[in-house]
Amino acid sequence: MSEHLHWFGGDVATKAVALPFDLEAIVGQWSGLRRRMVRDVPAAFSRDEWAYLAAFVDAVALRAVYTDTFGPAREPESCTALLRPRGPVALWLPNNVSLLGPLTLVLVSLTGNALRIKAGTRSDDLCSALVDWLLRHLDEGPLQRWLSEDVQVAALARTDPRQARWSEEAAVRMVFGSDAGAAAVAALPCAPTSATFAFVDKRSLCWAEVGALDDAALRTLIRVFTIYGRAGCTSPSELVLIDGDAADCQDIAARLLALWPDVVRADVDMHLASANVLSAQVAQALGWRTHMAPRHAAVICVGSHGLESVPGHLTLPISAAPLDQALAGLPANVQTIGHQVIDPSARRWQDALAASQAKRFVPLARMHHFGPVWDGVAFWRQLFEEVQVEGEVRR
Amino acid sequence: MTELLDQAPYGAREDGRLLAELNALTAHHRAGCPAYAQIAAEGPAERIEELPLLHVSAFKHVDLRTEAEDIRHQRTLLSSATSTGVSSRIAMDARSSALQNRSVVSILADFVGDNRRPLLILDSSRSLRSRGQLSARIAAAMGLQPLSSELRLLLGDAGDATSMKWDVVLDVLKGHDELLVFGFTWILWLAWARADIPQPVHDALAGKTIHFVHSGGWKKLEEARVDRPTFDSALLAGLADGSRVVDYYGLVEQVGIIYPLCEHGSRHVPVWADVVVRDPWNHESMADGVGQLQLLNALALGAPYHSVLTEDMGRLLPGPCPCGRSGRRFELQGRIPRAEVRGCANV
Repeated sequence: MSEHLHWFGGDVATKAVALPFDLEAIVGQWSGLRRRMVRDVPAAFSRDEWAYLAAFVDAVALRAVYTDTFGPAREPESCTALLRPRGPVALWLPNNVSLLGPLTLVLVSLTGNALRIKAGTRSDDLCSALVDWLLRHLDEGPLQRWLSEDVQVAALARTDPRQARWSEEAAVRMVFGSDAGAAAVAALPCAPTSATFAFVDKRSLCWAEVGALDDAALRTLIRVFTIYGRAGCTSPSELVLIDGDAADCQDIAARLLALWPDVVRADVDMHLASANVLSAQVAQALGWRTHMAPRHAAVICVGSHGLESVPGHLTLPISAAPLDQALAGLPANVQTIGHQVIDPSARRWQDALAASQAKRFVPLARMHHFGPVWDGVAFWRQLFEEVQVEGEVRR
Repeated sequence: MTELLDQAPYGAREDGRLLAELNALTAHHRAGCPAYAQIAAEGPAERIEELPLLHVSAFKHVDLRTEAEDIRHQRTLLSSATSTGVSSRIAMDARSSALQNRSVVSILADFVGDNRRPLLILDSSRSLRSRGQLSARIAAAMGLQPLSSELRLLLGDAGDATSMKWDVVLDVLKGHDELLVFGFTWILWLAWARADIPQPVHDALAGKTIHFVHSGGWKKLEEARVDRPTFDSALLAGLADGSRVVDYYGLVEQVGIIYPLCEHGSRHVPVWADVVVRDPWNHESMADGVGQLQLLNALALGAPYHSVLTEDMGRLLPGPCPCGRSGRRFELQGRIPRAEVRGCANV
């Protein structure tokens, strides 16, 4: 038997998790890379992406994936359930996908399941870049063995027969991408007992109260916004000032403009600078009041809540609304509401969330943070199958 | 407007007069196009560089059409939508079209002469049939019509370069020693330069004078490792010495203004147009160095395409051109480099 048992849980239920490696050994291998990650950034990653990944593989953060899911770690004892890896995981990533691929790879590595990743055919493949980098820098150990023996990454064309085979052989299928992309994967053959998690087209935004928007918060907003602009499913694609007014919007816009060059020092790519000029003009035509950040770094638009949506990757619309209007104005596919409010535990936020389709209500700074629960689904928990264990000691 | 067209295209520039016409156009469009009025600052500008500009892709997203008593819109010109899947829509009017025809003829005559000869177009007759809308390709071809004595369309299917009607070419060659041939660059390469020309047509072409006029990107040719000398020599093989290949730069959003490449590698600016090179990050005009091209012209009445910021890069060239044309000239250096926007596939 090569299984390593790990125990988690509270006083009522204890879960034993059987893994093909010692969890601490694999966590140690991940976190041991962090110092080297600081010095050596693969070309495919932006510095922001790589820094986030380095934080993600911190030992405390990785252990928390288990403890947040199953409860605190315990000493060996009898259990009420035993969990073991469910089986091969197949992951489909679209062409322009962000860090979600590498982050999912990290989470799956903790489960002991084999992983096949279908990467995009037209873009930088971050998963391949990460696996290559890891195999160059890892010493012998469970993570290195998992990557060498159990992980496959390939950019498969739509017609590649491996897509159907990977789908058919998977115990768990995961898809990030468009609605159409997810539908295409859903149509592939699969085992009747397999599970499918489709993380599709979503939008996120930020709710803030003016009293909570000090300069530190605005700097955070700029940082979070500029990581993916509005292209990420967790990007703050607009800022709604709850219970604010038009003057508040103008004031926040002016403060953001003043802070922008201090927070983002590098020029945006030339095509984005040009696209920002376009976005500002389209927004003006739609009735928004626009402000261009220095060196065409971004467009900040101020307008009435409910005004026609402004296009633009680096365009941040700001509007003000009472909470009920903000709630009514949420997009149908809302994923994350990033908050910067005075008391996020206040009852009115819970009431609003209960009436919404939102999947996350997290501090602004944590909007892009990925975890074992995503889009309202505890997907990582489903990477294990559970053996029910019952019985009493007979003496 | 616009007496500038009475002048030679590459004669002495009267930029004060051009500025006055462009200021008048800005005021005209602000008055007749509400969306433009929201975008463009009120004039007048004191220098060409201070005139408001519209981003070239604004015509994809905003309804930019100027209504006025003396403007009669006729049709909409559509760009090819190759990169984004969305076409620019340029509202064409009768007065502008007349000015634009004069402009194209005047510019091209400076390169290929103004004698009328048969015009062969590498497109299909079906492209002419759509009502109210016109593709950029067929509009560009039709711009050459005033230089033609007769017009023939050479493709059976506009999307199939092998559908060349060589019998039509042969028929025209029997009665004429000079021809004008127009096609988009890639199609001209596929359908003519690289084609297996039937022997009778090949024989009939020998010694004839043909001016090939083409426009459109070189991306596919670069991928096929075809450079300009290869392209030109494939077209000109066996023809009379006076034959030549004229590659011009133009945009649907600047209809009526074309920038042929002169024999010394410059693109010359006619006196009824202007070019400003801008720093992409602050829009300051650049006297030297490579930047984003802003194209201006005095011929746009039906929609505000008189001052357009392109997504093309280029630089102004100093001093006089050895070709003898005077005035402003520039070098086109291709599209703004693009990097993929990373996200979650939802934009």
